[in-house]
Amino acid sequence: MDAIQILLLSVLVFGVGAVASLLLNGSSRTARYVSGIAGMLGSVMGLLAAILAIINKPATLELLIPLPFGHFYLQMDGLSTLMVGMIAVLGFVASLYSISYLEQYEKRSLGVMGFFTNLFIAMMLLVVTVANAFYFLVFWEMMTLASYFLVIFESEKKEAIRAGYLYMLVAHAGGALIMVSFFLFYAISGSFDFAAFRQAQLSPALRNVIFLLAFLGFGAKAGMVPLHIWMPDTYSAAPSHVSALMSSVMKKTAIYGILRVCVYLLGASVLWWGLLVLFFGAISAVLGVLFALAERDLKRMLAYSSVENVGIILLGIGTGMIGLATQQAVVASLGFLAALYHALNHSFFKGLLFLGTGAVDYRLHTRDLNEMGGLARRMPWTGLAFLTGALAVAAIPPLNGFVSEWFTYQAFFNLSRDPNFAVRIFAPLCAVLLALAGALAAMLYIKAYGGAFTGPPRSQPASQAQEVPGTMITSMFILVAGCLALGLGAPLVAPYLMQVAASLPGATSMPVASGVWVYPANINQAILSTPLVAILLVGLLTVPLVVLAIYGGFKAGKRTVVDPWACGYGYSPSMSVSASSFDQPIKATFGSLYALRPMIQKPLDATAAWSKRFREAIVRSEPVLESWITRPTAWVVNYLGKHIQALQMGDIRLYCLYIILTLAVLLIVVFK
Amino acid sequence: MTTTSLIVIGLLQALLILMLAPLFSGFSRVMRAKMHSRRGPSIYQNYRDLAKLMKRQEVVSEQASWVFQATPFITMVCMLLVALIVPIFTVESPFRWVGDLILVIYLFALSRFFFSLSGLATGSTFGGIGARREQLLSVLIEPVMLLVLFVMALLAGSTNLGTISTKIASGEVPFYTSVWLGMLAFAFASFVEMGKLPFDLAEAEQELQEGPLTEFSGRSLAMLKWGLYMRQMVVVALFLAVFLPFGSMTTLSIPAILLAVVVFLLKVVLFYFIVGILENAMARVRFMKASAVTWAALGAAILSFVFYLANV
Repeated sequence: MDAIQILLLSVLVFGVGAVASLLLNGSSRTARYVSGIAGMLGSVMGLLAAILAIINKPATLELLIPLPFGHFYLQMDGLSTLMVGMIAVLGFVASLYSISYLEQYEKRSLGVMGFFTNLFIAMMLLVVTVANAFYFLVFWEMMTLASYFLVIFESEKKEAIRAGYLYMLVAHAGGALIMVSFFLFYAISGSFDFAAFRQAQLSPALRNVIFLLAFLGFGAKAGMVPLHIWMPDTYSAAPSHVSALMSSVMKKTAIYGILRVCVYLLGASVLWWGLLVLFFGAISAVLGVLFALAERDLKRMLAYSSVENVGIILLGIGTGMIGLATQQAVVASLGFLAALYHALNHSFFKGLLFLGTGAVDYRLHTRDLNEMGGLARRMPWTGLAFLTGALAVAAIPPLNGFVSEWFTYQAFFNLSRDPNFAVRIFAPLCAVLLALAGALAAMLYIKAYGGAFTGPPRSQPASQAQEVPGTMITSMFILVAGCLALGLGAPLVAPYLMQVAASLPGATSMPVASGVWVYPANINQAILSTPLVAILLVGLLTVPLVVLAIYGGFKAGKRTVVDPWACGYGYSPSMSVSASSFDQPIKATFGSLYALRPMIQKPLDATAAWSKRFREAIVRSEPVLESWITRPTAWVVNYLGKHIQALQMGDIRLYCLYIILTLAVLLIVVFK
Repeated sequence: MTTTSLIVIGLLQALLILMLAPLFSGFSRVMRAKMHSRRGPSIYQNYRDLAKLMKRQEVVSEQASWVFQATPFITMVCMLLVALIVPIFTVESPFRWVGDLILVIYLFALSRFFFSLSGLATGSTFGGIGARREQLLSVLIEPVMLLVLFVMALLAGSTNLGTISTKIASGEVPFYTSVWLGMLAFAFASFVEMGKLPFDLAEAEQELQEGPLTEFSGRSLAMLKWGLYMRQMVVVALFLAVFLPFGSMTTLSIPAILLAVVVFLLKVVLFYFIVGILENAMARVRFMKASAVTWAALGAAILSFVFYLANV
């Protein structure tokens, strides 16, 4: 079997799992296991397909479905394969996690949940492999719908309904833009196939329009500023394994869309496109993390942090697009490499962090940092997993987040030597904004980990929390291993991702690794070895240990039953610095940037209000329509029905006569 | 120079930083006392303090997790690794095959991450406040450091610290206006990184305590203090490597290395001396006003970048 067939099989397994869990809706417990195990099986096959596609060459498959919209065409080229692999790993982890995690929802219809979760993953797999715009849109919509139903799973909660509504609104606005851009392609090329799109002879103006439509449409789904506002509500409303999937892979399908349409189909030949992407990336990176810092709901923090990370990915894509436009192969390849690397990394560490948050939620039933505290002592494994994720996302070497940001910096470095003055100004400023975002992200995750897992417990449940079940820990540690592997294994990962980047038209493959080192095409420009950093960090640990040994080692012992120092007064946990006061200096320093928040929020709230009024207007206009259209139609249908009933006498001989008459008519039509 | 000799030089650098960091910190204590017209402690007092603390029993807050216990070690290890990478005795980066200036900046971030976390880890009020202060400063200073180093890297054509050092030392990258401005901004950033007034008062035992240091005691306190002394010296070394690498060794020989060590130590003394004067001549500003001052540094860094663009 080749990769595509296995991929189809995987989609089939997801489908069977979805239907089976729906049928088993009566018994939540069984449905939970069935949907989880089906999800894991499907994901394993998805991963297998990706591995096969990497080993063998890119695979394609065409199913002949007689529809006038074109071929159902599946294709696993470099980019699609990477996405399939990413979705499969996260799908596996989320399915494994859900088996225990969903126990708390036992009284709800978990069959429905399982149905939509499996459908969601299957649709994502199809979205990233289908090479026909019509089917792409169908799967895209189904993916959105499936995730919508997952978001409103706790439908008795007002926030969930509100979040779902906002999500629908933005997702469909984005979807509509994408649709228009595809129809414009179709108008010129006359076919919905991506291959035909690539050949289409577009006028420059039309190219620009298509680019803007697609970029904004996919950007809304990716959650770049200012189209990000649906994300915090949506992610915090959804169950944790779903938010993990949405943040770590569904977002990446939007990134995939940007790469597929703006780079692969349109060729990114215009300079200002790249600059625009760079601009949105820079804004998203800084504002996303700043807004995240002001939150104390852990999931909302992670959602805003996802905005930041999408910003970083867009910085890479923008750099790559500028490289393509100005025909600098090194810049293009490095930019796309950085973007792909960060996308891959983000799906691992953000998935991990969402699962960690879910684990805390599972025990404490809160996401408020001020209600947590001291959990590292009670939930040591969850704490360790969360800390790894936090270090990775804060770009701390030698973990994976650092490697991709390093490549982003190197891409900027190459971009800074562009002959074009505008580009030369932009690139180092973007590097500064990336550094700012990095420092803020470190602060954010110190706040998150410090607030939740260290310090004194700040609530009753927090002081009695217990470690979560083994399956949840296992799924988190799969991602921990992934973060370590992507960081320390950079010399192996980078060349593969370079291949993927080079598969984009216009980009060429550059050497980026040899031995234990990675370097940005030119070995004299810079060199980095995460394995050596790790070895040295561990090896240098001998120095403080030797120093300690010289001074008598651990003889002096330690005493641990004391309160923190409180100027001689009795200590109380309320004296500790809470998560919400931790970021106060930042709020004071960057106050003017926080003022942007309501400004960004306003247009969307206005749109939401408008669409609500529109909906209400429709409700009000219903009686009018009813008396003029619905009632007469119903009357006609009734009238016809009564008369047609006359044909239906219930006599079998009469029916035979009808059949013979029909056959006769058909024969006459055919032979005439 | 061969890789082997570079490795040896790197190890020597780390050893020197490890051994002498408390001495230079002691030097600033002495200077401080002299400027206050006090007799002050001996220049070796820091060594005595460390030795004494090492033997003391440790008292750890009940809330503390392993992060708290690990912080002193992580701080010291990070600074040792930076000391291996930064060109100190030579104009080449001894462990250049590990990483470049971006790695160095993020290694500082690693040590700060755990340092701040340890402040929160105990549930101590002072630790928490110190942690957030530490983080705000890093948010304000890290972009400045990165921009300056980025401009220097652009001038040298590589983000490898050794290449920058070599090209500055050999005059291949002359002292453009942008280099001067970058030097100014980076000196300012180093000043803040060293934990000096007006932002920080590393010796304020009584009033605001010492931030995250509050809850440490015994050998943990000794190790952490030692690590922080090293951080000060490493920051100075980074500044010298990028902007004043003159006198560092370009070819390998025993006299050259001795000369390089002596020159380096003189430069460090001079830097600490200037910092000491500035620090003691300065009033403390409210911590929340820090951004008003650091914007100036960012401004200088951006100007340096603008001058780089204009090629002057």
